[in-house]
Amino acid sequence: MTDISQSAAVPGTAPQRPAATLSARLARWLPRLVMAPSFLVVLIGVYLFIAWTLWISLSSSAMLPRYDFVGLEQYVRLWNTPRWHTAVINLFLFTGLFLAVTIALGLLMAILLDQNIRAEGVLRTVYLYPMALSFIVTGTAWKWVLNPELGVEKVVQSWGWDTFAFDWITRPETAIYCVVIAAVWQSTGFAMAIFLAGLRGIDSSIIKAAQIEGASLPRIYASIIVPLLRPAFLSVIVLLSYISIKSFDLVLALTNAGPGGSTEMPSTFMFAYTFQRNQMGVGAASAIMMLMTVAAIIIPYLYSELREDTHGH
Amino acid sequence: MTKYKTLLLATALALPLPVLAQEKGTIEVLHHWVSESESAALNVVRERMAEQGFGWQDSAVGGMSGANATQALRTRLASGNPPGAMQFLGYEGLNWNAEGVVRDFSEPANEKGWFDAIEPEVAEFVTADGKFFAMPINMHRQNWIWANKKVFDANGLSVPQTWAELIAMGPKLKAAGVVPLATGDEAWQIQLIFDALVTDLNGPDFYRKALVELDTEALSSPGMIAVFDTLREVRGLVDDGFVGRDWAVATGMVASGEAAMQVHGDWAKGEFLAHGLKEGEDFLCFATPSKTPSYLFLIDSFGAFTTRDAATTAAQAALAETIMDPEVQRAFNRIKGSIPARSDVSVDGFDSCAVKSFEDRAAAIGNGAMLGALTHGFASQPQFAAVFADVVGQFFVTDMTSQQAVDMLVNGIANAM
Amino acid sequence: MATKSLARQQMLGRLFIYSALILLALYYLMPLWVMVTTSLKPLDEIYSGSFIGLPQEITFEAWSKAWSGACIGTECTGLRPYFVNSIMMVVPAVLLSTGLGALNGYVLTKWRFKGANLVFGMMLFGCFLPYQAVILPMAQVLGRLGLSGSIPGLVLVHTVYGICFTSLFFRNYFITIPDELTKAAQIDGAGFFRIFLSIMLPAALPIIVVSCIWQFTQVWNDFLFGVSFTSGSDTPITVALNNIVNVTTGRKQYNVDMASAMIAAIPTLLVYVVAGRYFVRGLTAGAVKG
Repeated sequence: MTDISQSAAVPGTAPQRPAATLSARLARWLPRLVMAPSFLVVLIGVYLFIAWTLWISLSSSAMLPRYDFVGLEQYVRLWNTPRWHTAVINLFLFTGLFLAVTIALGLLMAILLDQNIRAEGVLRTVYLYPMALSFIVTGTAWKWVLNPELGVEKVVQSWGWDTFAFDWITRPETAIYCVVIAAVWQSTGFAMAIFLAGLRGIDSSIIKAAQIEGASLPRIYASIIVPLLRPAFLSVIVLLSYISIKSFDLVLALTNAGPGGSTEMPSTFMFAYTFQRNQMGVGAASAIMMLMTVAAIIIPYLYSELREDTHGH
Repeated sequence: MTKYKTLLLATALALPLPVLAQEKGTIEVLHHWVSESESAALNVVRERMAEQGFGWQDSAVGGMSGANATQALRTRLASGNPPGAMQFLGYEGLNWNAEGVVRDFSEPANEKGWFDAIEPEVAEFVTADGKFFAMPINMHRQNWIWANKKVFDANGLSVPQTWAELIAMGPKLKAAGVVPLATGDEAWQIQLIFDALVTDLNGPDFYRKALVELDTEALSSPGMIAVFDTLREVRGLVDDGFVGRDWAVATGMVASGEAAMQVHGDWAKGEFLAHGLKEGEDFLCFATPSKTPSYLFLIDSFGAFTTRDAATTAAQAALAETIMDPEVQRAFNRIKGSIPARSDVSVDGFDSCAVKSFEDRAAAIGNGAMLGALTHGFASQPQFAAVFADVVGQFFVTDMTSQQAVDMLVNGIANAM
Repeated sequence: MATKSLARQQMLGRLFIYSALILLALYYLMPLWVMVTTSLKPLDEIYSGSFIGLPQEITFEAWSKAWSGACIGTECTGLRPYFVNSIMMVVPAVLLSTGLGALNGYVLTKWRFKGANLVFGMMLFGCFLPYQAVILPMAQVLGRLGLSGSIPGLVLVHTVYGICFTSLFFRNYFITIPDELTKAAQIDGAGFFRIFLSIMLPAALPIIVVSCIWQFTQVWNDFLFGVSFTSGSDTPITVALNNIVNVTTGRKQYNVDMASAMIAAIPTLLVYVVAGRYFVRGLTAGAVKG
């Protein structure tokens, strides 16, 4: 916090000369000036627009924005909509499963890859590449793979296992798990990369010392290394929560919120109500609910993160 | 100097026509037609515009049954940069007219008799208070059944006269290894079966009461329960691979004989023709079975957004007249698979299913059975139509009872009011 | 005896590790496999029932059609012009957002001012904004600026929302560079920009790579902004791809769809394959540490 005042008092400046005062002032304000444009666009692009959405959610807007005030009517309507309930339940179900599976699998892959594997580079790229692709691109391929008449089920049955069934995507109660499978596929590589980075940052002498003491490898990982990965866990959790709350084209490409609306998510709900159903007010209300959920996750995280940093300095 | 002048003159003379023509104005047309037959049909309009010396800037946004395109339009309007013309489905044109952003064409309409050229049912969606704000180009019928004739013959089946007969065909076809009815799980594909059932089982007046007026009594009546009961039986005719199935793939199943029938609009016809099949020999087209055959229609129309740009304004007027030209409508619809929105275009040159469509339309108008199709937004406003889609789509893929579906419908409509 | 069984155990362990890794690799490659094989099959072969499986006959027809012949609306130009649009959009957007992010990270760590944490927190929250909520107000702003419906407009939008991420990356990276380094440079008389250019940037190479990869992927793959703010011939490749793939009538040309999807994916795939190792290295170097 004190960096700035020190920097303004860099030796060599002569406060009594007006020109120098000016340049000193400039030097003091320069960092803030440099940040100002970024901060300004974020202020407008994020906070002003959030305020706008908040206003719309309190108005009677239907097809186009209407700047009146109807109180919490749209929120009442939102929570009376069964489709929104489905979306909220799916969000928690999806986020929970997606986080658990992606973290477990990503950690496992990182640990396996960290065992001096030959062709590590190739494997890493294979695991990481789905992150490069949008679901606009891979959606059709996934639809085929998951479709019982075209994909995995048919292939396995053609191998002779006649009773094999994998028809989750056809059933409303299981379709959301298919969305999880595809989402895990896309994001595990990223989680793996972060964990791998964390593992590489751990001093290898710790492992050696534990090995000399006779601890088995799985034990060393469970009780020494994984706890050391705490910052990596935090980063992964935050980034994956972000991915899951925003998951939009994933759902659209895979199930289009079907069958029977069973894979609706808040992001698809909001899009449909704002742009297809002419209920912009309800759409805006759902956006505010999403933002509140994000804030509930992020603000505590930010708070703890930034507090630690100030202690560190 | 003189040399320069001659050069200029020579250049001017050598200028190809289209470049000169551009000066008359270019119009940007935002639409959601991205398939080959749709594009080919639209090219009829584009070429006619070019002949008159107007440029055409094509803005196609496909996907999600036009939702991506309407979203694009909203943002364009919000940014104060609307396209010259836009394709409208359902209530969109009416709603934009109410917002006061589309142009009124009542002058040429009065002059050229457009008001009289369309049926009152169509006029409801393109005119308001004497304003003619959207030019309807085509009319599709939604409640057709497309059947594979060879499959019908091989199993000794004939065109069903009631839904009960149709459902009774199921076991026989299944025993022969044929999927009785092909469809996808998308809500709209199922909803169009629902639309047909509502009027086929209960008559056009009930359809109007329940789906247009959204009358609670009609919505919760035994008639509506019967519709859902029948829909449940229809579900039994469909195979399990229907999730994520494109409607055109379902049509392909009928064309190949893998499935016997599909309930679908007449844009499915193009699929059969693309496979080189002939109506009457290879495939059949007939209306969904009913005592009073109804004609569930949908139209595509184009509206123009008000602008201060004189060149665009001129191009908009030319586009309006081009679309309302009977000959353009004939050429367009022969490619698109629909029939002209104008009711005064002769039937010459259309294929046999389209001829049937002309005849059925005339009969339905006489019976008061020409109805706007709910699925495509021609019965009630989008926020209500979407409730039907939600309920019907969910009903079809779950074990929901008919009573639960009806309750959900009534509550959903009330909540969207 | 003991060493032998230990070696055996180790062998078994290696075997397990390798088979697990290879099985996982197969799962990851499956969709790509489906896409590549389908794009190389003639249409008749696809319709005769083999969606998954090797092509019996390999043809590149679908690829050439996707690149230069496929129709979108009444224009039959293939993906080529839209590919160019995306390049025109992605390059400035990545450079701008990375450059600004680097400056912000530098200020937030080495020139901390009162309220810097709050500013950083506010920027970070922007990463989590559901973009559907900002489309309409953004459209109004772009209209006011005269940038609606254009590639520069998209560059602006991607830069605005990209800054949130890039600032996070650089801030978390620069915080690991000791303050003594910059203070020493200050005493030697180096100014704000001088320190940035000659000390911070050279040290920041790994995180620059991370930031560029992230931004490149996000901007290239974006569909929502593209479909909202541009139309016709100005759209980025994802929107054009969506138009090609969403053809609902006519015999669906799955091989062209898949070839188009592959073409749209090649740049991002290339970036990951070529720069993937730096990505992990960059994450090691800083982004992970919070």
